[in-house]
Amino acid sequence: MNDTTFDAVRTAVIANKVDGIVREMTNTLLRSARSAVINSARDFSCAILTADHELLAAAEGIPVHIFGAQLQAAAMSEAHPDLREGDAFLDNNPYIGNSHAADHTILVPVFVDGEHLFTAVSKAHQADIGNSIPTTYHAAAKDVYEEGALIFPTVKVQSDYQNVDDVIRMCRSRIRVPSQWYGDFLAAIGSARIAERRLKELVAKYGAATIKAFIRDWLDYSEKVMVNAIESLPAATLHNTGKHDAFEPYLPDGLEIGVTIEIKPDEGIIHVDLTENAPNVDCGLNMTEATTRAAVFGGIFNAIPMSIPKNSGAFRRVVIDMNDGSAVGKPQFPHSCSLATTNVTDRLINCVGAAFAQLGAPYGVAEGAVGVGVGYAVLSGVDARTGDAFVNQLVVTANGGPGSAHADGWVTYGVPCVSGLMYRDSVEIDEIKMPIVYKHLRLVTDTGGAGKYRGGPSFELAYTPKENPITVIYPCDGQVNPSKGVAGGADGRTAESWLETPDGSRTRLPNTATLVLKAGEVIHGFDASGGGYGSPLERDPALVLEDVLEGWETASHATETYGVAFIEASDGLAVDEIATASRRSAAMSDSA
Amino acid sequence: MAYQVSADTGGTFIDVVIQDAASEQVIGKALTTHDRVFRGLSAALDAAAGEIGLTGKALLSQTDLFVYGTTRATNAIVTRNVAKTALLTTAGFEDVLVLKEGGKQDGYDFTRRYPNPYIPRRHTFGITERVDSEGRVLEELDDHRLLETLTMIRDEGFEAVAVSLLWSIANPAHELRVAELLEKVAPELPVTLSHKIAPIIREYRRTSAAAIDASLKPLMQAHFSELEQDLRDFGYNGAILVSTSMGGVMTIEEVIESPIHAAKSGPSMAPLAGLNYSLLEKLGGDMIVCDTGGTTFDVGLSRDGAVVHSRDTWIGPQWEGDLLGISSVDIRSIGAGGGSIAWVDGGGLLRVGPQSAGSEPGPACYGNGGMEPTLSDAACVLGYFDPDYFLGGRMALDTAAAEAAIAKVAGVLGLGVRETAWGILSIASESMVKAVHEITIAQGLNPQESTLVAGGGAAGINIMQIANELGSQRVILPKVASALSASGMHFADIVKEESAALITSSEAFAAKSVAKVLADLEAALAEFASRFGDHYPDYSMEFGVEARYQSQIWTIDLPLPSKDVVDEAGQRRLFEAFHDLHDRILAVRDPGSTIEFLNWRARVTVCLPRAQKTYDVSTERIGEPASVRRCYFGEAGELDTPVFKPDQLLPGTRLQGPAIIEEPTTTVVVYPGMAAEVSDSGNYLLHITNGA
Repeated sequence: MNDTTFDAVRTAVIANKVDGIVREMTNTLLRSARSAVINSARDFSCAILTADHELLAAAEGIPVHIFGAQLQAAAMSEAHPDLREGDAFLDNNPYIGNSHAADHTILVPVFVDGEHLFTAVSKAHQADIGNSIPTTYHAAAKDVYEEGALIFPTVKVQSDYQNVDDVIRMCRSRIRVPSQWYGDFLAAIGSARIAERRLKELVAKYGAATIKAFIRDWLDYSEKVMVNAIESLPAATLHNTGKHDAFEPYLPDGLEIGVTIEIKPDEGIIHVDLTENAPNVDCGLNMTEATTRAAVFGGIFNAIPMSIPKNSGAFRRVVIDMNDGSAVGKPQFPHSCSLATTNVTDRLINCVGAAFAQLGAPYGVAEGAVGVGVGYAVLSGVDARTGDAFVNQLVVTANGGPGSAHADGWVTYGVPCVSGLMYRDSVEIDEIKMPIVYKHLRLVTDTGGAGKYRGGPSFELAYTPKENPITVIYPCDGQVNPSKGVAGGADGRTAESWLETPDGSRTRLPNTATLVLKAGEVIHGFDASGGGYGSPLERDPALVLEDVLEGWETASHATETYGVAFIEASDGLAVDEIATASRRSAAMSDSA
Repeated sequence: MAYQVSADTGGTFIDVVIQDAASEQVIGKALTTHDRVFRGLSAALDAAAGEIGLTGKALLSQTDLFVYGTTRATNAIVTRNVAKTALLTTAGFEDVLVLKEGGKQDGYDFTRRYPNPYIPRRHTFGITERVDSEGRVLEELDDHRLLETLTMIRDEGFEAVAVSLLWSIANPAHELRVAELLEKVAPELPVTLSHKIAPIIREYRRTSAAAIDASLKPLMQAHFSELEQDLRDFGYNGAILVSTSMGGVMTIEEVIESPIHAAKSGPSMAPLAGLNYSLLEKLGGDMIVCDTGGTTFDVGLSRDGAVVHSRDTWIGPQWEGDLLGISSVDIRSIGAGGGSIAWVDGGGLLRVGPQSAGSEPGPACYGNGGMEPTLSDAACVLGYFDPDYFLGGRMALDTAAAEAAIAKVAGVLGLGVRETAWGILSIASESMVKAVHEITIAQGLNPQESTLVAGGGAAGINIMQIANELGSQRVILPKVASALSASGMHFADIVKEESAALITSSEAFAAKSVAKVLADLEAALAEFASRFGDHYPDYSMEFGVEARYQSQIWTIDLPLPSKDVVDEAGQRRLFEAFHDLHDRILAVRDPGSTIEFLNWRARVTVCLPRAQKTYDVSTERIGEPASVRRCYFGEAGELDTPVFKPDQLLPGTRLQGPAIIEEPTTTVVVYPGMAAEVSDSGNYLLHITNGA
């Protein structure tokens, strides 16, 4: 064995250690961060990059962030040719490599014996970034000026391990709740510094030459796993489209997106073409290069039922074409990318993942729920119990996941960019933190997009203020264009929101709303649900029966949709095999 | 004092440990008999008693305390092989066990189905009622509809009932009313009320605890009653106690009353054993215990001389399994052990586990038809096992089968069989090291400054590799390593915990309310302790609280420096203690920030009598090997390796690696450059450097 041949044992051992370091970074940031967006919603990511800005390892957290960190590290090196040990940089520049302005990224170059070997990256969504209005998702912003975000293009925040106070003072004098921002800043710095310490220990143990050989081997190995995965796919050119809901008055027609995916098994390459997409729009819905790449990778990893290391080695096998100045591509300054990590990104993740279903089972996934409605609203007001003002985002409901060729949709899926990783609030914790009372939070039967594997169902919830009025804000998407089913599966249901007045009458609320809810009024929300995968007529009748027994489906809807007939047997409801077979064959010949 | 006997019933083996009046311990093992546990237990008793020249029956006639632990409850939870249980929730919130608290292991994995709720939705019934966060009744309990529901539950053949209503911790009246009516409708049905079993904020945790507890009641009552009857029929007249997830013991009546405490019954004892051995060898109260079995590797801790607890104990995977919801000894498990299978993935990387050959067919070297190469096969190929003296000669190993299995993987890698076996060992050790890091990072312990205690039959193979990677300077492999949990039961006291929710903050500290909560908890536990006053008059009380910085989500479990929090000095001590612990665990100290307090708890420990043996100071001696064989050690190559048997290893014996120690129930590998010594008490102290 020497340093020029692949070492199957050493690579496994060191990769395990590097993964452990990223997990330690993650754990440190998660548990010491102050804002709920980080420690509850897990809206952060940690990664380790190589000296030449390849993504070596990323872990947990919300993955859509981190697949652009390479661009940020390259920008850091370019802006700071005098990079030194003890430096740390803050970057949130959406026009180079950051996801969106609200994700403050800390980059720490790691030096061993004077040589830059790694860059440790901690990126976290801030609760506030000093925007023109108190939200980090400024959907209506015409451009970055109206958005009001402070943009930091890889600026130095530590030198010789000591804070460089200028930028920190800027942040503390502009960002709302500065102590919270500073607490999260310290947590992110702490996380990157822990990685620095561990990486130095790692190099001390194995020596720089071995570690460099490992980096090469690990990325090559990851590339090989990706090549194997692509080689096992059929050669095909896939085209798919998606649509973001209308956003009045800025995007009255919504936003169409499209993707062409060329799978070249013989070359071990997937070629993704996004150049058909529209130019930048005059609101906060533009994507960034980082989120565009991340959404494409996310969609591909979702669609291939194989475990692939998520790093630059695997990325080498995916070629992405995108336009400059496109809403789905590289943004042109000063267009606003305030919502670049969620709305259109969610639609693109869905669009790419679903495209692969055109290959047939076991590839691709249906579309998962989109939209953060009443169950994810930001509430604010004055709590009569204490006299204090409060502002808090709910993360209480479910939003059903997509069906796949293997399983029904994940119930607590959230949206495509969080993909089930996010934690949910406790009803009791919400009720003590905020002056509200929940009326109910329950599954809605017959709502998962039907399929051989159905989508995750919709949940409904309702809440009302205790005494004082509360302001409810929720942003757009999910109420008009459903999450699509694939390969014969049905679409999910769209989200809804309703206002109930004390007399019990209900009025439908729009896709995007800011309203003041008074005592006695109740706001109702229905999640979107996930799309189904495959024909409902092929669903295992035993699973359909279980859904009926467990109240996910009513018997009549199950019979109508899945073609499964039931009989009352001595030990309860059972599948009527004969009636089911004839129903299903009749339904199939109808549709044929 | 006569003998004390403990028994740990695992999935495959029952371990029995006998402790004599001089606190010497011997081990006996037998296969677990799942149909009637006493058959296997009596075999293990006979085996252990045989070591001291007695029969099991004769042993028990001279025994005054029998401590029992079992995986029965855990297995029942995992397999859902529990009572048909009805769950009653506040109407409109029936899906609390479906939704859990969110979170998923892998966001890109769409191949796995969403986990079923612990209680099926069709067995979950909403009760019309509502209490708010201040304990006010917003909607009265509808007695009439409740009666209908309870009657239906009785008529539909349910076997247990769990009740978990929103804010029952702020006002338990409605939960109590449900129990009252159920007593009238179906007095025979066991019931668990959430505010009693887990009086904590967060409805999922409380509901999960109530559901698990109720569902175990019929089963565990039958299990413990049967065991007690069998022991009595066997002629045993002494006390019987059951080890609990809290890290203590309880009477059978107590555990039958709240069987959720039996959930980590066995594994929770390993940290107790580890701590005891660390203190016995004067190696301090910061300790990491690693218990390596055939399929799992369990890690537990003690910090500052106290076993570390957690309220985040999942049965099954984190976020996706079922949360116990009660305070439990913090044990984290990964799927790694002697049976872990080695394989080469599509990218050409050598991997070990998580698949395991289990005990059936087991590793190839067991000769039971196993074909897959496992960690045990690697150890066999490397020469660490004597094929004719495995498990003290009770099992012959098939070295050829092990080599053939490893050769399959070696062929793919283009490496030699021994190099491959060494690689398997290294990778398995590495994943175990990572598991240790995960828990020590989460709990703020530095492995380099802690004592590592090894347990489990497979521990000795690579504990020194693990120690070396962790940089642990202090490592103990107790004589009874292969039955560490059963051994730990001899150090257990009667422990009971009570808790109460009361939210307050350092900004506006509700001193009087807190003092009252603590006084109430203390009174309840003092009453409990007094029940044992005749035999065990000594008890101690500790207090704690779950606390966090304002707007954090995660709480840390803070032991109270004192329960005196009424005056300002007491409050200052409390706040200071939180800053200290937060700094220790998360490396962040923010004295300017408000601290929030959520759930308060008290824990009583009724001390059981125990002999403190003092050991003679041994003189240093050099061990005489029984034989020499060739063993392979990676870069050091194949070396002549002396093999030692326990009867040659008197206290004070030192030996230099490479060496093999063959205990009857475990094999210890001392790698080249490392060393081992036998302590005055007969345990092995392992040193990762020769110079120690």
